[in-house]
Amino acid sequence: MIFGRFKINPRMVELVVYMTLADLRAEASKTYINYLWWVVDPILSMMVFYVVFGLLFKRTEPDYVSFLLVGLVAWTWYSRSLSHASNSILSGKSLMNQVDMPKLVFPIVTLLTDFTKFWVVLMVLLFFTWVADHGLGIAYAALPLVILTQFLLCAALALLLAAAVPWLPDLKPLVDHLLHLQMFLSGVFFAAASIPEPYRFWFYLNPMAGLIEDYRAILLDGLWPHWVRLGTIAGLSLLVLILGVWLLRRLDRVYPRLVR
Amino acid sequence: MATLGKTLLSLEGVGVAFRPGKLSLRKRELFWVLKDVTFDLLHGETLGVIGRNAAGKSTLLRLMAGILTQDCGTLVNYGHTAALLSLQTGFVPYLTGRQNAILSGILLGLRRRDVQARMDSIIDFSELGAFIDEPLSNYSSGMRARLGFAVAYQAEPDILLIDETLGVGDEAFRAKSTEAMHARIRSDKTIVLVSHSAETIRTLCDRVVWLDEGMTRAVGPVAEVMAAYHAELAHRQSERVARIRGGIVR
Repeated sequence: MIFGRFKINPRMVELVVYMTLADLRAEASKTYINYLWWVVDPILSMMVFYVVFGLLFKRTEPDYVSFLLVGLVAWTWYSRSLSHASNSILSGKSLMNQVDMPKLVFPIVTLLTDFTKFWVVLMVLLFFTWVADHGLGIAYAALPLVILTQFLLCAALALLLAAAVPWLPDLKPLVDHLLHLQMFLSGVFFAAASIPEPYRFWFYLNPMAGLIEDYRAILLDGLWPHWVRLGTIAGLSLLVLILGVWLLRRLDRVYPRLVR
Repeated sequence: MATLGKTLLSLEGVGVAFRPGKLSLRKRELFWVLKDVTFDLLHGETLGVIGRNAAGKSTLLRLMAGILTQDCGTLVNYGHTAALLSLQTGFVPYLTGRQNAILSGILLGLRRRDVQARMDSIIDFSELGAFIDEPLSNYSSGMRARLGFAVAYQAEPDILLIDETLGVGDEAFRAKSTEAMHARIRSDKTIVLVSHSAETIRTLCDRVVWLDEGMTRAVGPVAEVMAAYHAELAHRQSERVARIRGGIVR
């Protein structure tokens, strides 16, 4: 099976877990206040948006800052996952030429690292939305499903990018610019409702647009997510994810030559 | 010398080609690093690999380690683990020596609990003492080399592939690490050893493979193959001298 080599090898599970922990620890120990940065960093960036949009621009929509922060938190997780994973196999080149290891390990480690950091930021965000008077509704029960769907989406695209970039390193800067473009098309700064009806279909072809709207529905309005859309995104992501795993396993022994 | 047993690994007409550069629209010429390599590796032996620079020695080791696959010929591994002796594998500067030892140990084929169980002997061998819990970025290069060797020494694959042309660093520690390595080579372990030193090959190996421009020129007893290798080197040397002299005369 496609997951075969992974499943029968508990050492690889240990490797993924330990490399992820090592990544997180390494990043934290580069600074004086270590792990505190994980909390301070999102708080500071939220404060920047609060100052700009809440105090300076005085946006007229009620609660624009919460609206913006929910979109930004989901978006940041997505774009960091893709950006880091696309580089992951290239940066593992010295390691993969010393030991025989599944190359799948590299993007999985960056995915898990970014996922862990997302949880910390999410906690800060939830605290903020509660302070901003959005209660804890029954719709919160759907939050894990939305997060799971986004994780599938991130993993699917991350594996494809990780597999492609070593062949064509020029993709890397291109990916960063495309992500930038996608950010402005995902409704981080505006609501889907503000888009004219004929264009909405195209707007929702971008999976992040739907996901961000679902986060807002749950966290800000206490509404359920759009189930059909959510299920479609999850299903398609799963298919692409399987393709990515298959591809990386097939090319496993090709990468050490490619990235020497 | 150890008694030779069954075949662990056999190579038959094996070749490895690299395509120089990145993706390209034009078909580029393949560069064959290994062209035609044939020999068997027997249980318990120490097999030396000799050859000039760029003969394909390190590519051969990476092939046997399972990092690369061949482009032609057959390589059969009869179910044994083979790994390069690689030092400081996966070391991260911001982790402590202990954390790096665990990470590196898992990469080299051990389970986490195995590394933890052997931590005392790792600390002992590397002479790091309390420094083991300091971040690696505070280590001298000698200390890193010691930790790297101590961890790598704990990994015991069925077939150990050693590239002696890669140094172990730290002069003072070299004697100790070389001695430990030689003790292991003399034991019943199966080892493939790449070395430039005729002395090392003579004292440690049971058989020798001579690689020349990606092809096996000879496989056999140490004295025989080394004699042929040195005769060839001397021959080439005299040819070169003759060519230079000829140039001067003209």
